[in-house]
Amino acid sequence: MKLEIDSFSGYRIYPAKGKLFVRGDSKIFRFACSKNSSLFLQRKNPRKIAWTQVYRRMHKKGITEEVAKKRSRRVVKHQRGIVGADLAAIAAKRNQTAAIRSQQRLAAIQKAKSEKKEKEAKKVRPSTRAPAVTAPKISKQQMKGGKGGR
Amino acid sequence: MIGLKGCLNVIDNSGALLVECVNVLKQKVNNGWGSVGDEIVCVVKQARPISEATQASATAVKVRRGDVRRAVIVRTKKPVRRPDGRFVRFDDNAAVLLNNKREMLGTRIGGVVSADLRMKGWTKIVSLAPKVV
Repeated sequence: MKLEIDSFSGYRIYPAKGKLFVRGDSKIFRFACSKNSSLFLQRKNPRKIAWTQVYRRMHKKGITEEVAKKRSRRVVKHQRGIVGADLAAIAAKRNQTAAIRSQQRLAAIQKAKSEKKEKEAKKVRPSTRAPAVTAPKISKQQMKGGKGGR
Repeated sequence: MIGLKGCLNVIDNSGALLVECVNVLKQKVNNGWGSVGDEIVCVVKQARPISEATQASATAVKVRRGDVRRAVIVRTKKPVRRPDGRFVRFDDNAAVLLNNKREMLGTRIGGVVSADLRMKGWTKIVSLAPKVV
């Protein structure tokens, strides 16, 4: 059961009440009672009729409660740990001093350099081996035994 | 409440624009008032002009002024009661032309139709309509 709202006054329309009017341009208007439909057809402006919701919203009548409720909803951000790093690990990493960080960086650089040297040494060694013996190159045409070249 | 001499707009593309009711086809009474979903016999009062070019095409306008045809009412200004108690009223009276076998003459419908048609068995019209209320 869906409660419609009146297109003129903003009231709720309960089942079996009121009328539905489809205008020539296929726009639908719902009216809760003959009062609303009559005023609509007289082309009155609901913004000027004091008891309609549209008027009340425009003139801010009876809205102070809603506004007061809306104030209190500040979102507080909580720091949470992830699967890979729990809260302590994150905090520890964040609180490292600059000195420790630069030390770590130097250590990492040293490690990288030594690894690189090893790699180059390994590379040099295999290339000094003799190149593999390959069979004498025979062209495809000779294999196929084509016509004696004209 | 469409009766003798009642005028209806035609909202399909059969070529007629305005039809006038001549008879309401109901089971028991032949005089009476037609509402949404009722079949009527009508006379074409206004139709779109037919030029030679359009006559050749498949979507040709098919009716002329003065034709006597059948039609089904799809919108009425008089409120129609729905089973849930609502009343639905449109801004004009409208119809869709039919042939003697209750099939539509036109191929398209332009405009809103009433959902009461579905209950009376005019599902083809309901499916073709761009909007059903």
